[in-house]
Amino acid sequence: MIPTLAGRIQTRLFLFLFIGIPITLLYGLYWTGWQWDWRTIQIFVWFLCTITGLGLLLDPVYIFLQTTRWDRDWPFAYQFFFSWVEFGIVFFVARAGLIPYLPEFAFQGGQGLWIATLHFTLVFVPSFLFLLGPLQALFIRWRFKGGQFGKM
Amino acid sequence: MITFPVRFRVRQIGIDGNTVGSSRILLCEEPGAFLIGKSQEADVPLTGDAVSRRHLSLVLSAEDVRVQDEGSTNGTYVNGTRVDEQVLAVGDQISIPGWILELLAAAESPASATRIAGVEVDASLVSRLVITDDDAPPPTRRTFPDAEFEGKETVSIEALRASGHPIEEVRFCAVGGGLGSFVWVDHLRCYGVPASDIKAIGTEEVCYQTYKRYCKNSQIPDHERLRSNALSRPDNIWGFPGYAMREVGKGIGVKGIFQVFGEPTLSESYTPRAGDVFDSLDIEAKRIGWPEMFLKAQVLGLRKTSDGRYAVAYKLWGGEASGQARNRFIIADAVHLSTGYPATRFVDDFQTFITNHPDARAQVANAYEPHDQMYVEAERRGGPVQFVVRGRGIVASRIIQRLSEARAKNPEIRILHSMRSAIGPRDGAVFRKARRLVRNNVEIQPFNWPKSCWGGDLRVEYENANDEDRGIMLSQLGGTTTAERSDWIAIAERGAEEGWYRPIYGNISDLAPLPPQGEKQPAGVQVSIDTQEGNREELNADYLVDCTGLIADIRRSPFLADLLDTYHLPRNHAYRLKDGKASQGGPTGLRCTNDFEIEGLRNGNGRVYAAGTITTGGPYLAVDSFLGLQYSALRSVDHLVTERIHKVRNLGPLRSLGGWAKWMTGARP
Repeated sequence: MIPTLAGRIQTRLFLFLFIGIPITLLYGLYWTGWQWDWRTIQIFVWFLCTITGLGLLLDPVYIFLQTTRWDRDWPFAYQFFFSWVEFGIVFFVARAGLIPYLPEFAFQGGQGLWIATLHFTLVFVPSFLFLLGPLQALFIRWRFKGGQFGKM
Repeated sequence: MITFPVRFRVRQIGIDGNTVGSSRILLCEEPGAFLIGKSQEADVPLTGDAVSRRHLSLVLSAEDVRVQDEGSTNGTYVNGTRVDEQVLAVGDQISIPGWILELLAAAESPASATRIAGVEVDASLVSRLVITDDDAPPPTRRTFPDAEFEGKETVSIEALRASGHPIEEVRFCAVGGGLGSFVWVDHLRCYGVPASDIKAIGTEEVCYQTYKRYCKNSQIPDHERLRSNALSRPDNIWGFPGYAMREVGKGIGVKGIFQVFGEPTLSESYTPRAGDVFDSLDIEAKRIGWPEMFLKAQVLGLRKTSDGRYAVAYKLWGGEASGQARNRFIIADAVHLSTGYPATRFVDDFQTFITNHPDARAQVANAYEPHDQMYVEAERRGGPVQFVVRGRGIVASRIIQRLSEARAKNPEIRILHSMRSAIGPRDGAVFRKARRLVRNNVEIQPFNWPKSCWGGDLRVEYENANDEDRGIMLSQLGGTTTAERSDWIAIAERGAEEGWYRPIYGNISDLAPLPPQGEKQPAGVQVSIDTQEGNREELNADYLVDCTGLIADIRRSPFLADLLDTYHLPRNHAYRLKDGKASQGGPTGLRCTNDFEIEGLRNGNGRVYAAGTITTGGPYLAVDSFLGLQYSALRSVDHLVTERIHKVRNLGPLRSLGGWAKWMTGARP
């Protein structure tokens, strides 16, 4: 991957909107027994929003790291690794109760870890796979624009 | 001025690619034109199934020596490029199936005319010359399309019709017929343009033929890997699925997928096998109907027409027509130029050596020329054989690999690796905060440019920069590099340990032929190197393989030179950074816009685009790469869409997905 800053932000938001949010809603519905219970579902939604928000804050840092690399690229392995770092940071901050808009009972105990990890896995795997190439089938200019959408 | 007799060395080539029998000399004693072919009337009869009855003519005048194809079925090649007509320089090799003719320098004295490297050779092929009348125009004078095109910037369709040459009208015409043309046509087809609206003109029916020849010569057979990325697929405008995934599908293994995942930091970069690239191109050619669109012909000229289009004059290859019927025009609304390396030109000292010592030609080769016989001879010959490999790029790496393979047959092959200077781990090129990796005295980079030149921040920055800044970026980011491959590193390390590989640092100051000494010591080449310590090292080598690359000089293509002169087209320039100031160097590629349009050729609604190495120094760094060809094709076809003149429909997400689904299922677009 050879993303630019705008490309990182656009691709992140695209995957968040079109893969992250739908899967999160389904996952939330699963935990509420397929009943629309916003009080529970919102935990998952806000959790994903927080990860995305953190990612947006970190994107300039990643771009800085890229400029220190001769190829100014970003290996898929790094993308993989840092996605989980982002998840880990948000999870532990949430677990410590430092995210005010998330209820205190969320992410506690062994089950909290398991539920959050499964959630992130379900969002991350398809997003990452989508990034590996299928995105190009829809947007042929995306790979030349460092991850931005639209015309050249 | 040409000194007579003009001498050609004639060698017969067997099916295995090796020379059959000894060299012979063809002496041409006077100016004139003479015919080579299988026919009884030929001045020089050559045998062979693939030789045409009238294959080619050698046309000698006081000014120059030319080769002219006579409409042969299998073509005439000069230094590996198929030609219709070409002026020859000393050292040029004309090849036709089964034979190589090489233009030698003038003999020092008539007595030595039949000697090569001091050895008398069979000069049995002395020509019968066809003497031309002094008052007659030179036999090479071209009447087509000069009668219609010469001195004119714009031609009228009526005048072309009046000429009596067949005319065909299409919407899009790709000139070149190689990979660049193929990728552009592939884009048009995937955007929805029907095959009947497109013509592609080139001298090779298979679009990757020239590329494959360069691969073969530089010792990359089909099973070896190219320096290219998994997603850079010239047969797939989407770049997905990549070659690594294709290998999984074909059951070759999943290693490639893990390479793509970790490259270039945690694993060696994945690169596709040459044969796989060619196979997938064959499939795509069939899918988009390439054979229907392709015209096997030599493009001779291009002119604007008075109705806002272009006239492309071409000469159809013999076999489909003969005589005047081969000369034709295509009228097109939009033209794409991708003619590749115009002619092989070597670095100056190498060129000087082969000019002065053509008889030592068998001992020296540029890595892009056919030179297989060197390895074969070295393998066959017992005893020590010393190779000098010059250059530190990827081609040198591959040649050294080939030589280490040859050591299995002759363990006394030694490799002297000549490089200009030693470079340490901290000596790699610097661009702002980053420094290029150095290993075993060579700079390491997965591909021929830093990756972000293709689609990252450097692409954007370079495109938006002015000429001078572009030139500086090009000089800072360019340079000779090789790929990080564990087998190559192991060869250098093991070879140094065992004493059969030695790097030598310094400038090659002189090359001189070493005449053979008796049976035991065949001819060789003496390489003098001025080392960094100020010493002069003289190496007696058996062979020198020069891996310093080719020089693309677009003026050497008569077609492009005519365009440059007729329309006064501007060119890009090289830049050098000296003491913080940039100075302009020599001209490089054809100037084009960020959409790869050649503005100087705009004609009403007519548009001309370009791609590939002829656009060097333009809006994109990596023009000479698979992905670069795709980028320029995408830009130019998108430009046609945006302008709305040529009725090409946009490829938005849904149509793109539909087109991709067709690609996946092998359906015709």
